[in-house]
Amino acid sequence: MTTSTLSTTDRIEKQPPAWTKMLDLSDRALAVLLLAPAALLLSLIIVYPVLRLGYTSFFSLSLTSGLPAEFVGLDNYRLMIDDPVFWETTWNTVLITLITVPGALVVGMALALLANLPFRVQWPVRLSLLIPWALPLSFAGLIFAWFFHSEYGVVNDVLMRLGLPGVIWFNSPNWAMAAICLTIIWKTSSFMALIILAGLQTIPRSLYEAADVDGAGRVRQFVEITLPLLKPSIVVALIFRTITALQTFDIPYMMTGGGPGTSTSTLAMYIHQNTISFLDLGYGSALAVVMFLLSMCVTVVYLRIIRTKG
Amino acid sequence: MASVSLRKLEKSYGALRIVKGIDLDIRDGEFVVFVGPSGCGKSTTLRMVAGLESITDGEIRIGERVVNKLAPRERDIAMVFQDYALYPHKTVRENMGFSLKVRGVSMKDAEGRINEAAEMLGIGHLLDRRPGQLSGGQRQRVAMGRAIVRRPQVFLFDEPLSNLDAKLRGQVRTEIKRLHQQIGTTIIYVTHDQVEAMTLADRIVILRAGDIEQVGTPDDVYNRPRSVFVGGFVGSPAMNFAKAKVEGGNLVFADGNTLPLAQIRTGRETALEGRQVIVGVRPEHFSTAADASLALNVKVQVVEPLGSDTLVHFAIGNETMTARMSPETRPEAGAQIRVGVDPAKVHLFDAVSERVLD
Repeated sequence: MTTSTLSTTDRIEKQPPAWTKMLDLSDRALAVLLLAPAALLLSLIIVYPVLRLGYTSFFSLSLTSGLPAEFVGLDNYRLMIDDPVFWETTWNTVLITLITVPGALVVGMALALLANLPFRVQWPVRLSLLIPWALPLSFAGLIFAWFFHSEYGVVNDVLMRLGLPGVIWFNSPNWAMAAICLTIIWKTSSFMALIILAGLQTIPRSLYEAADVDGAGRVRQFVEITLPLLKPSIVVALIFRTITALQTFDIPYMMTGGGPGTSTSTLAMYIHQNTISFLDLGYGSALAVVMFLLSMCVTVVYLRIIRTKG
Repeated sequence: MASVSLRKLEKSYGALRIVKGIDLDIRDGEFVVFVGPSGCGKSTTLRMVAGLESITDGEIRIGERVVNKLAPRERDIAMVFQDYALYPHKTVRENMGFSLKVRGVSMKDAEGRINEAAEMLGIGHLLDRRPGQLSGGQRQRVAMGRAIVRRPQVFLFDEPLSNLDAKLRGQVRTEIKRLHQQIGTTIIYVTHDQVEAMTLADRIVILRAGDIEQVGTPDDVYNRPRSVFVGGFVGSPAMNFAKAKVEGGNLVFADGNTLPLAQIRTGRETALEGRQVIVGVRPEHFSTAADASLALNVKVQVVEPLGSDTLVHFAIGNETMTARMSPETRPEAGAQIRVGVDPAKVHLFDAVSERVLD
């Protein structure tokens, strides 16, 4: 008993280890200390590459030329302005974004509303929502390339059975773009649906019951209750979808390789071509900086919308 | 305003019968409270009246119309939900005016009705706020306001006070009663709180496991409970029960205490001779023995002084009983005392069916 009392007293009187004094400095210092590892990691894998990208874009650096890197200022950006392929791929990227983002939103909303119905067994519905999302983009591209194949494709088969003429999808810029957009909408609407479904499930059932009693029909309930309460989920889904749409690469790469010509090539594919195929890191970096700024602009616009809507 | 009648009303989920054939007539302008423990079917019944639950069998009439197949919006009812169900993205004004907008009431008329209801409920200054900026009590009032502006035939309240703290609950309860006196519309009100039922109702419907146990005025159910369940459910602290046997004209308790039956039931003693009964006495119907003609000898277990009165807990056999005594009564725990019983207020129930012995 005595021993134990003594040892307790000893423990109390003992000074805390020196390193813990650091923690006593201030809450601010502690916060910095705790955040430091994450900040360091983020700096290494995000901040540094972005800065390095910007830096490289001011150099003429082509690995095939055998010449050393040369500072050229804004030359790469000037080159871009006169480059018709840059404008074409940028337009294609914007077009894909303008078509597939609203397309995926509408289809995703419909899927989410469907999945939110009180099915007796929920998992097949949820699973069928998850499968397109879980499928790798390049697989989806390959699968749909076969679907749209002019001779063996299921799409032409269905068209012909309906008495309509088949289409040689990948020979025409417009049809090829249509096929790509349809594929992207199929692939990405499930992601939209998942985010919207999560939003739908946060809306209390009693609001619909109150609206029922208040006299609102289904359409009115959708417009007056569902849509306004889904706004935050929709904005989040749109931010993610728009940013990934601006980076579209895999699906057109696998389906058309950017063809016919460069009519379905995207900015990301052009960056890939310049940096990986032509090893022109200077020009490729400048293109990538433009894409980065484009994504940033979209994000800022959406975030402002969220902030103003409260 | 309208009467409401339920005929053989049933609700089942598969083999599970939630409401087992309820018959009830609610008069025009009456305030009826459904009360009972969780799972007794009170909310389900209310939701069937609202049209939010389909009915398995039976008939619901609002006024002269059978509304079984009508959608909620066609029933001319308004409901106040337990969680208020206010539209969070709409202002108080928009919440209150939504049903009017949907029904195409003119802006001017709607505005007039909203202002009138807001004034009645003292929420005029909150009309431009959103529900998120309101306290629980204010939300509750807005929910009532939303119901009032509709001027429906029947108001339905589904445990509207259960999310409020005790003080606010008492306050809003009074307001609901005042509101009913003011507008006089038929109200069906669901609660599990017997105090709410007693204070608000013209008539109380006590439900148990999907069946009506008793219907009556608060006075009826308190003074003339038809069963052990009703006796135990209404009143706080609850009615005390102890088993006893009728022997030689006396109620004989397990611990040997006796009460002469002649003083409790004049003329019925012989019919009950030899039967097992349950004796029910409310805490407030015990007294200090000095002035009592009937009394029990008991040992005090716990004494709880409440200020306004003193609760004395004692046992008869295995049954713990509570007596509400005058505040000056302060027996010692463990002391042997005599407690008086008001013979007119002793309830006798059959030990098997637990129904009252008339």
